[in-house]
Amino acid sequence: MSSTEQGTSSAAPAEPTTAPESAAAPEVPESFYYVHGKDKVVHKVSAGALQHSALIHGMISNLGYTEEQAKANPFPFENIDGDILQMVVDWCNQHKGKPTPPEDTNLPKQKEKLFDLVLAVNYLEIKELLTYCCKQVAMMVKGKSPEEIREIWMIPTDAEDEAAEKEAKKRAGKEAAGETAAAAGDAK
Amino acid sequence: MPIRLLSLSVKDIRYALQCMDICDLIALSLCSKRTKNLVKCSNRKVDRTFIYLDENYIRFEICETIFHEDDESISFYLFDRWVELDSGDREESDSEESDSGERTQKKTVEKRRTFDSWRKEEFTQGDWIAHFLSIFNESMAYALEINDISLPYLDTVKQFIPKCQTLRISPICADNVAKIAFRELSPIIKEVEIEKNIFDDKTDISQFLTSDLRSLSLVDFENPFKVTLDDLLAINITDLSIEPANITVKELNQFVRLTLSEEIKQNRQEAFKGIKYQTVNECLLVRGDGKELLVSISVKSVVFEFRV
Repeated sequence: MSSTEQGTSSAAPAEPTTAPESAAAPEVPESFYYVHGKDKVVHKVSAGALQHSALIHGMISNLGYTEEQAKANPFPFENIDGDILQMVVDWCNQHKGKPTPPEDTNLPKQKEKLFDLVLAVNYLEIKELLTYCCKQVAMMVKGKSPEEIREIWMIPTDAEDEAAEKEAKKRAGKEAAGETAAAAGDAK
Repeated sequence: MPIRLLSLSVKDIRYALQCMDICDLIALSLCSKRTKNLVKCSNRKVDRTFIYLDENYIRFEICETIFHEDDESISFYLFDRWVELDSGDREESDSEESDSGERTQKKTVEKRRTFDSWRKEEFTQGDWIAHFLSIFNESMAYALEINDISLPYLDTVKQFIPKCQTLRISPICADNVAKIAFRELSPIIKEVEIEKNIFDDKTDISQFLTSDLRSLSLVDFENPFKVTLDDLLAINITDLSIEPANITVKELNQFVRLTLSEEIKQNRQEAFKGIKYQTVNECLLVRGDGKELLVSISVKSVVFEFRV
């Protein structure tokens, strides 16, 4: 299992401070957690950065892991591609401890990965990033005609929708019939 | 790279739709029945919709009031089977990354979609109007303006014109078309604005004044509207504006006095009883029972406001 350490350092303070050193409260060492996606590449992320994800934040809030325990138990997100998770981790690190501005230009722009990114961000419950991704989705069709929108967003025609609906009904009917036959066989 | 929008969660789709402008939403609504319903369910509100009738086309204008820079007003020229979109020139801001890696705001002037044409083979002009109103959950258009159209064309379009708050008859509309339009469209209209003097005799105007409209505005500064005491006494409209009205001072005075009485026919003398009169720059007449008539006089107009 390989490991990458993304944008954080265990030596770095959790939050920059402007208060005089003499008056500063003793710094609490920042805790780190580890996540990996489908590619098993482990990303080291600070608890501060992970706070953006309501899902992960909920998972770690009561764990009280030591550094070693956290390293030994990375959170697996098998449903998220490695490069997508990398984007998410990068974004969380960049926005650690900062609220996201409404128009955030320091966000991933890879449109080809947008769909997977939306799904991942939705799953990880990162509200601000989801907001931005949805805006990006909307921007994809800005100024486009209905036919262009249909192509970009892969929207089926009414005929295709009707055919799919018929097919689904047919399949459901077959499955129901199969179940009935199986139940009858069991009864015999 | 395309993405499958309809596979996203409802919440994500809804937010994406919120980020779209009106024009893009309309385009999306035309993709399929499902996308039409999606747009409808997004509950996007438009401020006002206008329908302009011309002999060769219908123009449908949608205005959206937004409290930021992107105020939008777009027009569609409606035909059977297709629409032409005129969204005009747009100034849009975009961001770009400089060599140093910093992102900077760049202003670009984008001439987009001017006179784009969108097709929907099964749509008639009426279907386009119904579709536009439906996706924004509007039951009626704000205004219908009639320009230079023929009677046969009026007969055709009146079949699918939706309810409108205001009927506006433009100065280029023929008198006979204007009169018929008024008569035939009155049931679906609350307010009428006529921007030319279409009346050739006394009977004509009294028919208009006795309608059940909430508001009637007659404007033609070149051809004053001739009205008589009888016309004014027959008024059944809440707000009436005639600019300019051609009426004698004597008849106007009689009108003021008579309308202050609740029993005009039975006891005209009673109408004068208890009237107090006060002159400033405007006149406030108070009847014995306390009801008031505010008369505002300016250089070009006299406004009567009956207070209840």
